Amino acid sequence: MVKQHGDLVIAGVGGASGGTYDMVRLDGVATVNGSVEARIFKGNGHVHMKGDLRAEELECNGNMNVKGSLKIGTLKAEGMVRIGGSLRGESCVLNGVISTKADCELEELTGEGAFTVNGLLSAGHVDFVLHGPGKANEIGVESLVIRQNNQGTWNRLLGGMFPKLKPELNAGTIEGDFIDLEYTNADVIRGNIVIIGEGCTVGAVEYRSQLTVHPGARVGREEKIGV
Amino acid sequence: MEENLISKKDLLDLTGISYGQLYRWKRKQLIPEEWFIRKSTFTGQETFFPRKMILARIDNIISMKDDLSLDELADKLSSAPPISKTVISGKELLERNIVSTLVLERFGKPLEAEGKYTIDEVMYLFVIDSLLSSGEMNLEEGDLLFRTLQENSARLEGKAWELFFIRKMGVTSFLIAYAPTELIFDAGVRLVNRITVGSLMEQLRGKLN
Repeated sequence: MVKQHGDLVIAGVGGASGGTYDMVRLDGVATVNGSVEARIFKGNGHVHMKGDLRAEELECNGNMNVKGSLKIGTLKAEGMVRIGGSLRGESCVLNGVISTKADCELEELTGEGAFTVNGLLSAGHVDFVLHGPGKANEIGVESLVIRQNNQGTWNRLLGGMFPKLKPELNAGTIEGDFIDLEYTNADVIRGNIVIIGEGCTVGAVEYRSQLTVHPGARVGREEKIGV
Repeated sequence: MEENLISKKDLLDLTGISYGQLYRWKRKQLIPEEWFIRKSTFTGQETFFPRKMILARIDNIISMKDDLSLDELADKLSSAPPISKTVISGKELLERNIVSTLVLERFGKPLEAEGKYTIDEVMYLFVIDSLLSSGEMNLEEGDLLFRTLQENSARLEGKAWELFFIRKMGVTSFLIAYAPTELIFDAGVRLVNRITVGSLMEQLRGKLN
């Protein structure tokens, strides 16, 4: 294949103005002032993007900050990813913390850590292990599996001191075909098959075919809909 | 406006699709963002949809999804439709049952039966056809409406609009307004019909694809 665009490589401390590239590799501390489109984007260390980012393959280790929105094919992230706009893409594998200021639309979201979505989290499949807090205003999925990481003493202590750091999922409404939760606070859950595990506090559950509630969970109202 | 909306729950019951499918279709942009209307109800936040449009759209998606991938579907259905560039021959309009022979003969292009129609023109004919066939409008009024639409076609192009068909003391008027809109009439006015272009476009798309 003939390369249509050049590469952008920064090692150490540097900056760039943005543009379209074939491959972008940023190691160290890099600031990019404009929007970037790339086939492959790799960021290690501290990456600061002041515009939008579009990449087919995005890999980042360390800290990444995108002021605009992020559109990806696949995202592999270790560390912290902050997105000022929305996140759209196929799949995201996360080991760390991700936050978006707008909607998050993915086909696949798997990983461990914490996430914040200020908007709608819409996904095909979500499989997430919480080490820190998870937050989304709304969740709409085909399947959602939330697990809590086994808490160590330190974590437990921290969670006790700062309730905000508790590894729990907080959501307004959760809607999906298959919902399997642990340690989740939600106002309303609507689904086909709903499994409410330990430590959940849910205002109301509306389910179609199956509901399982762990004895250690609190559910305000249960309602079976349909036939 | 209330009766023109359908709640998400009712929609799923009615169409038999699941939450997952709905969200997936939204992600694939088969259902436009603007159709998701948030409202607070006594059970908290609920999402509503414009009833006619969403039902027609879901019908279209379900009937086509077996033959096409979702991405192909998205191209076909997207809100800025490639359809707007297509031209359709008069013959095809008849074959696909979009307009009746009567309407085509009276309002269609007189010169050639093989005349090509843009989607906007088809839309006008479709509107007139549906009003005539429901018996709400007579042919002279059809003339008036067709003229009005054609004269203003430049201003309507690519916009969402609504047609209000009213009668007062036996006198007919047509009002065209950019959607969404809400008009209030005096008591003597009878609103014969109200047509939203969006929902018609959905029906048209269904017939054309």
